[in-house]
Amino acid sequence: MWSENTENSMISKISNTEKVKKSLKSRYLKEKIFKFVGLSSIFVAFFFLLILLSDVMMKAFPAFIQTKVELELDLSEENTGVSAKSDIKEIKDVDYRKIIREALSAEFPEVKKRAEKKTMFSIISTGAEFQLRDMIVDNPQLIGSKQKIELVADDNFDALAKGQIDLTGEQKRFDDLTINLYKELDEKGKVNKSFNWQFFKTGDSREPEQAGIKGAVIGSLYTILVTLLLSFPVAVAAAIYLEEFAPKNRFIDFIEININNLAAVPSIVFGLLGLAVFINFFSLPRSAPLVGGIVLSLMTLPTIIIAARSAIKAVPPSLREAALGLGASKMQTVFHHVFPAALPGILTGTIIGMAQALGETAPLLMIGMVAFIVDIPQAITDPATVLPVQVFLWSDSPERGFLEKTSAAILILILFLIAMNALAIYLRKKFEKKW
Amino acid sequence: MIDTQITKKPKTIAEIHAEHKKTVGQPFCKDAKFSTRNVDVFYGDKQAIFDVSLDVGKHEVVALIGPSGCGKSTYLRCLNRMNDTIDICRVTGQLMLDGEDIYKKSQDPVLLRARVGMVFQKPNPFPKSIYDNVAYGPRIHGLTTNKAELDEVVELSLTRAGLFDEVKDRLHEPGTGLSGGQQQRLCIARTIAVQPEVILMDEPASALDPIATAKIEELIHELKENYTIVIVTHSMQQAARVSQRTAYFHLGKLIEVGDTNQVFTNPAHELTEKYITGRFG
Repeated sequence: MWSENTENSMISKISNTEKVKKSLKSRYLKEKIFKFVGLSSIFVAFFFLLILLSDVMMKAFPAFIQTKVELELDLSEENTGVSAKSDIKEIKDVDYRKIIREALSAEFPEVKKRAEKKTMFSIISTGAEFQLRDMIVDNPQLIGSKQKIELVADDNFDALAKGQIDLTGEQKRFDDLTINLYKELDEKGKVNKSFNWQFFKTGDSREPEQAGIKGAVIGSLYTILVTLLLSFPVAVAAAIYLEEFAPKNRFIDFIEININNLAAVPSIVFGLLGLAVFINFFSLPRSAPLVGGIVLSLMTLPTIIIAARSAIKAVPPSLREAALGLGASKMQTVFHHVFPAALPGILTGTIIGMAQALGETAPLLMIGMVAFIVDIPQAITDPATVLPVQVFLWSDSPERGFLEKTSAAILILILFLIAMNALAIYLRKKFEKKW
Repeated sequence: MIDTQITKKPKTIAEIHAEHKKTVGQPFCKDAKFSTRNVDVFYGDKQAIFDVSLDVGKHEVVALIGPSGCGKSTYLRCLNRMNDTIDICRVTGQLMLDGEDIYKKSQDPVLLRARVGMVFQKPNPFPKSIYDNVAYGPRIHGLTTNKAELDEVVELSLTRAGLFDEVKDRLHEPGTGLSGGQQQRLCIARTIAVQPEVILMDEPASALDPIATAKIEELIHELKENYTIVIVTHSMQQAARVSQRTAYFHLGKLIEVGDTNQVFTNPAHELTEKYITGRFG
């Protein structure tokens, strides 16, 4: 016994202290190593994120700049055949391409050969004539005199102006004529670069300089809206029922397991399901945000249900007891107390699910949202595409100009995701209550 | 040396408990608010309460005492059917409130809980304003018809709970911002705002400091004028201070019931004596 042998116990006490002292060194070392490993993993993650973001941003930057060429256009009444007071329809029918070409010929009288002229004409975008037409329809006062107007340059000329083309190499992309024309225009100060508003105002196009992101942004917004409206109420109702009302039996267990299974189903399978059920069987419109939204909500449902259930589970039982003890019915307890307390968690889960849906590509390919769509969708039943699919489409295009457009679309998609995550954090902070 | 001791040793506590059949003392009373007979409670296969018969008189404070896990909270939660929320819990026997079976099919638990209020161990105010906490019960039951009436009920309830003077300037601040003792009194105010006939208290002061505890005990003294109170407590001093009758539970059995004075000064049963003299527990 200890009391009988105090000397012995003293010795063992001292040696215990020694033992603890000895072990301290290795214990602290382990802690240090762990801290170092943790910190370095964070650095590695940040490093890759930084590389990704800076790469995307650098590549995307030129997409927000548009090159325009200033030309003196002869818009006299003799040349156009219409006057400022003419009917809009007549003004629309004027051959603006001819006017642009004449202006180019006047700018460079030395270019005579047919082939050279063709090259010269191609420095202006094929969409410029429509840009000019719209400008004049909006403002018919321009007709009747010579006007200096800036027209959108072709994507190749644009790349030249942005210095993206190597002019010294053997295999240079442009013939000397285009380069000389560019140099001449540049010296005269007629090549201007401005912010590319057009990129945010138009839909897709085969010509990089005319392609815009608005169609995909609107398509994504419609799709997400449909997804949110369908999946949020259904998922929340399912989660509340399962957590608060469902009896504990085999059937409910079976449902629970299958909800978890659903979360693991590859998204392309949901796309095929959407194609087979919604488009082929129910004949819903192809390529439409409506069907895209339905398919994505199928995919998002389990995510939100699982998040909502854990949020409801985390509500302290004392809150339920307090309400029940006062004589609140089950329904009142759930909707007055449990649901509001779980709301921050449910919202966070929902927004994470929405962000997932926003970045989803594969199922939308199956239901035809990969089509080339120029028009901006006006309703959820119009053909549309979404941001990630737009990235996919542009990254697949051979034209050089689409490279920067792809990066720009990625950047906008990332901005959307950051905005949604910020919203999730804000909502969580706002609704979070302490007890 | 040790071997010889065992043969002479008196009966162990477990043996006394196993032999115990009938509650000692006066479990019944004439003017009973609650009258319960042969109550058994099971959690799944495990029996938590064995054949408990006990009456609670009108405007009486009954204290339930006993070591941890003895079933006193479980018994208390049978009285307003809070055990319904536990899926595996099963209650048999007869439990009557004013002569009506509270476990009969036609008995609505919501109505029962409006008549039998409950205060819990840990203060659990809603994460809402002080006003809304107290007003919640009257609102869901539709006890008041207009704002002025509701204001009156809230003020009266807070006054009765001895909290009004402390919070009258911040009725619209969150109830969760109050101190522990204030929160518990808020919970009591919330309970009496529904004007129940009985208040069940499950260790209402166990999470509070001595000053807050004293206030709660004072409050119980005042409340017993109007309400029947059943209180579960770990503190024997508290039971002695606030209650008229005391019931001693041990491992699911009701061992002894009697006047508080008698139970604490002259317990009739061996187990009760051992518990109150601190031999175990």
